[in-house]
Amino acid sequence: MKRQILAATVAVITIVGLAGCSGSSGGSGGSGGSGESSGEAGGLISIITPAQENPFFKAEADAAKAEAEKLGYETSVASHDDDPNKQSELIDSAISKGAKAIILDNAGADASIGPIKKAEEAGVPVFLIDREINENGIAKAQIVANNAQGAAAVAESFVAALPEGGKYIELTGKESDTNAGVRSEAYASVISQYPNLVSAAKETANWSQDEAFQKVETLLQRDPNVQGIIAGNDTMALGAVAAVESAGLLDKIKIVGFDGSPDAVQAIKDGKLVATGLQPAVLISQLAVQQADKFIRTGETGEEEKQSIDCVVIDAANAEKYTSFALED
Amino acid sequence: MTATTTGARPSTNGRGPGDKGGTAKREIDYLGILLEGRAFIALIVLIIIFALLSDSFLTFNNLLTMTKHVAYNAILAIGMLFVILKGGIDLSVGSTVGLSGVIAGVLLQGWQIDAFGVVIYPPVWVVVLCSLAVGTLVGYVNGLLVTKFSVAPFIATLGMLYVARGAALLISNGSTYPRLGGDPELGNTGFGIIGGGRLFGIPTAIWIMVVFALVAAFVLKNTPFGRWVYSTGGNERAAELSGVPVRRVKLRVYMISGFCAATTGLIISSELTSAAPQLGESFELNAIAAVVIGGAALTGGRGNVRGVLIGAFVIGFLSDGLVIVGVSTFWQIAIKGAVIILAVMLDQAQQRIKRSKNAALAASSHSEPTTTPSTS
Repeated sequence: MKRQILAATVAVITIVGLAGCSGSSGGSGGSGGSGESSGEAGGLISIITPAQENPFFKAEADAAKAEAEKLGYETSVASHDDDPNKQSELIDSAISKGAKAIILDNAGADASIGPIKKAEEAGVPVFLIDREINENGIAKAQIVANNAQGAAAVAESFVAALPEGGKYIELTGKESDTNAGVRSEAYASVISQYPNLVSAAKETANWSQDEAFQKVETLLQRDPNVQGIIAGNDTMALGAVAAVESAGLLDKIKIVGFDGSPDAVQAIKDGKLVATGLQPAVLISQLAVQQADKFIRTGETGEEEKQSIDCVVIDAANAEKYTSFALED
Repeated sequence: MTATTTGARPSTNGRGPGDKGGTAKREIDYLGILLEGRAFIALIVLIIIFALLSDSFLTFNNLLTMTKHVAYNAILAIGMLFVILKGGIDLSVGSTVGLSGVIAGVLLQGWQIDAFGVVIYPPVWVVVLCSLAVGTLVGYVNGLLVTKFSVAPFIATLGMLYVARGAALLISNGSTYPRLGGDPELGNTGFGIIGGGRLFGIPTAIWIMVVFALVAAFVLKNTPFGRWVYSTGGNERAAELSGVPVRRVKLRVYMISGFCAATTGLIISSELTSAAPQLGESFELNAIAAVVIGGAALTGGRGNVRGVLIGAFVIGFLSDGLVIVGVSTFWQIAIKGAVIILAVMLDQAQQRIKRSKNAALAASSHSEPTTTPSTS
């Protein structure tokens, strides 16, 4: 009971706070009142993403919020921490607040189907970003980064950095995460075309920098003449960089990562990392909000439901143009 | 009674009658010795197996690298030992590792004080002291919760696990502090030495582990505080009645654990020259495993530093060895679990044998039936 009161208080404070914020910065939002696909912009767009402690999801949420406010909407931002139950509650509260649209980075390809259906039935269109669900025709849009294409492109830079061939280590992500598998397969599909590149080890480091560091240190003891390390994300790549650096082999071993995180791009500028694949999180969020806006005004998005946005490789040539999870033109 | 016998050290006269009574039963002792040194034997067996499977396992450099990895866990486990000896548990150490790294990260990148519009760049030794202080503070809060508010240690430290992790995420706003190398102009270089440096060719992390182990062993064996820890864990009520300052002991052991966790956090962030708020997730479990494999009882009162070190080496060599041999990750996890279970099973077997032996001794000779449990 006490907890519920507390939760309600927090929710109210959050809503009031957010409304206050966007009211002062946004502009003409919220005046429409009871319009349903009324042909005009305005109203609340609810943005729900996984944990904000991850800079990737933070960039994604921030971009959606900025774009929505630019188009004249109020926003509320919340995170479900990859908990389907919490996601369901957040969607409920978005419905009851009368949101005009939900921008959602969902908490599970199957577990999210029910709550999304619920929102659609209540007349709130849902626009999925970053992750797909296992059913079509429910959400208005599913806009995701093309992991396979991006990973293949990163693998191409990896191969190009090792013209002589040699032994390489692959660090994979959490085995339960589909993206870990997709990236690893894409890496393999490219690297397997180059018979002079020999796999010395394929180890999971669970997306973790510390684990990658220890595993690479250990593996270098076994194979001191490794020439390359290809990692499933940037955090692991940076762990590998630290291990290779402390072994004094930085000029001999080429390392690549994936995600396009700010730290990784800095490492590229410092010449410690060869390349990373940029997931265009900012662009995806903006597209989702634009399509939501179009849907609210006209009743359709004008795009296919499933949209796959290509990743861009960041290397020394374009690292200077990088801003958090986006490339400037 | 139990309080003083499990207190271990004053056992010189306790051992006399035990030996005399044992001369007739020499044969049984082989099993006893085998069980007593099981963790050490397991370690030797591990080394032999891995050395046979891979040429690069038993090289000096690899042993050094593996020992360095062992050090991270061993330092945590030494702190954990104090808590477990007292009969508690500290689940917050992993989060404290992350928090202390983040504190170091903040201070090295420049601590912005908005009120004065200045950015402070403290020298490395101040940074280290601040991190250690914060870690000790987390331990202090744990201790307060356990003593003053009578929260069960499992719950109190589980709560602090989340609080400390949350604090680390709040301070860092979720992002990693990169490049902690410092700036020569600001005079705050040298952070990298703590974990990445070497002294006489040996990584500093190993030296730190050795120092911690020696100090901890000395404190537990040769100081009143050490005896208090054992007696509080053996029988808290009896200890209190015999004048042991139980609450102070409890408070101290959690602070020691927090201090050790902060040290590990500093070492790893220094090694990576970056501090991530997620650092240290599930480290507490490895530390507890090392303590348990080393023969300590989770109920308190029994265990020692030597055992904990061996436990940490078993876990560390096992996981690094499996990587070198090239066993799949899923097997690595399962094998680690099996080893922990096996260790505790053997421990139970040893206790049973000991109990029956004690009973036999008590029956045969009416002298003091006090063979002390393995504490030396």
